[in-house]
Amino acid sequence: MRLTQAEERMLNGEEGYIKKKAMTFLVRYGEAAGAERLIDLDGTADFHPGLYASWFPETAITLDEIKELAARGERFKVPTFGNKPGSPAFIVHGWEDCGVWPQNDPDCHAEYLARMKPYMQMGMIPALSCDYYLISSFLPTAGQHCAWGESSAIPWVNAILGARANYDGCFEAAYLGKIPAYDMHLDENRKPTRLVECQVELKTDMDYDLFGWAVGEKIGVEVPVITGIGKPTYSQLVKMNSTLNTGGQVRMYHVPGLTPEAPHPGEVAAMKFKEKYSIDRNDLKKVYEKINYASKRSVDFVYLGCPHYNIIEIQKVVSLLKGRKVRVPMWVMTNPWTFKMAEQMGYRDTLVQAGAALLSGTCPGMMEGCMPPADVIATDSAKQNYYITGFIDPRPLQAWYGSVEDCVEAAVTGKWEGQWS
Amino acid sequence: MSKKAEKIVLKGRKVIGGVAEGEALVSKVPMMGWGNVDQKRGVTTERNHPLFRIPLKGKVFVFPEPRGSGGWIFYGFTKFYGTNPVAMVYRKGLALTVLAALVMDVPCVTDLDKNPIEFIETGDWVKVDGDRGVVEIYKNGKEKSKR
Repeated sequence: MRLTQAEERMLNGEEGYIKKKAMTFLVRYGEAAGAERLIDLDGTADFHPGLYASWFPETAITLDEIKELAARGERFKVPTFGNKPGSPAFIVHGWEDCGVWPQNDPDCHAEYLARMKPYMQMGMIPALSCDYYLISSFLPTAGQHCAWGESSAIPWVNAILGARANYDGCFEAAYLGKIPAYDMHLDENRKPTRLVECQVELKTDMDYDLFGWAVGEKIGVEVPVITGIGKPTYSQLVKMNSTLNTGGQVRMYHVPGLTPEAPHPGEVAAMKFKEKYSIDRNDLKKVYEKINYASKRSVDFVYLGCPHYNIIEIQKVVSLLKGRKVRVPMWVMTNPWTFKMAEQMGYRDTLVQAGAALLSGTCPGMMEGCMPPADVIATDSAKQNYYITGFIDPRPLQAWYGSVEDCVEAAVTGKWEGQWS
Repeated sequence: MSKKAEKIVLKGRKVIGGVAEGEALVSKVPMMGWGNVDQKRGVTTERNHPLFRIPLKGKVFVFPEPRGSGGWIFYGFTKFYGTNPVAMVYRKGLALTVLAALVMDVPCVTDLDKNPIEFIETGDWVKVDGDRGVVEIYKNGKEKSKR
């Protein structure tokens, strides 16, 4: 890799030990990725803050080192947002209601929160969410280079915002303001390589969740032009992005009329694609059947909020649950700022009165399977559904999947009644 | 592709240098990270996956591409438990595979002149030369290649 003189100085340790560590990581990473150089970030960065916020535990910038930087008054080079906390994950709000130890232990929670402080002193904004981009109040603009993470966020930054990021947000990138220039940072890798025509009218949130999975599974790591998806809501786009990056690894796509780098419909008609795919209702049904991985109708735990629910999604659950009681534990997970808004609107109280819990900042997957004891769970998220059984393995876990309405009914009755319609 | 061919050579790009060889364990479908990796056991825990719970330890791990979350790095963490493959070969990677390969720190080659999934089968003896970006496939069983 070609380095600038300033980068060489950091690599040689002339700017101190911590910068040397950070630059050593970026150079090793860039060389393995086949990058020719580092690029200066001019957008934003995120990472999972915790005992460390690096990709490699062995060479991570440690929390003590981060404290040292913070004490010296050092700051992140670009606006930096905390993704869901990691190493270890924890419930940011509503933990008192979660019913699971050690998450509901006040001392434990205080310790977790204290860990966020040095990051915040360096300027990290504690959005602490997988969909922090919905609430961050500051986003990169088209063409800006970023270092992000998270399944739903990577297509969001590339496709929806037209900014540029690979799946590599970390402390080192935010601190030095640099990242290897390859893949999504380069024009040639962002152009469409496949065409996906949606042949079914997508209506519900679940339709978009399933559609994203079906597309991801068909095209893998390619960059599709997607047509025929109508006018998805924000909730639907977030869901679709999360499953594009679960059924496959779609970090960039184009929707004419919706995404900033998309070709015009006329141009699409004239383009030559190596492969074309169409997705119909039967493709969605196949995903639905694959995701539904259960036979026992009794449900022990209901999880909503993957990706973290926005305020409109919370509003819907509240209206479905008002005046009713859940028979089994139900978590409604959101991001910390939406939690505050929901609390102000009385939604947290409504949910708690119904026996459910409004929580923020993590998910059972992020907590590596930490949730109320369950042999059978139900969720409206294909992503969470498909990972959670893997976290629990070798203990068997059955996982139902359906609409938010199906899930709330299951929480109230303790029985799964959802079906394909 | 001919199964009788004694040796097939694929040329690609180094991700991680070094030379290692072993029996191939091939997934024809993408590998998923995060919850669907158990680094302690060195297996994928993805339900429905052809390699579900099959140990990667000591194998030359061959797959087309990654899918899913950045928790793909957990494949790299197999190294901390001694459950890691001895080498990796994949058709197309991205940040997920690069970061995992760096942690695992075993010879790793990608961007090959031919699709490795069409040439390598589980049980083939495979030598991965990361420094030269060369993958040698021995179809006639488990004899070691000549060093």
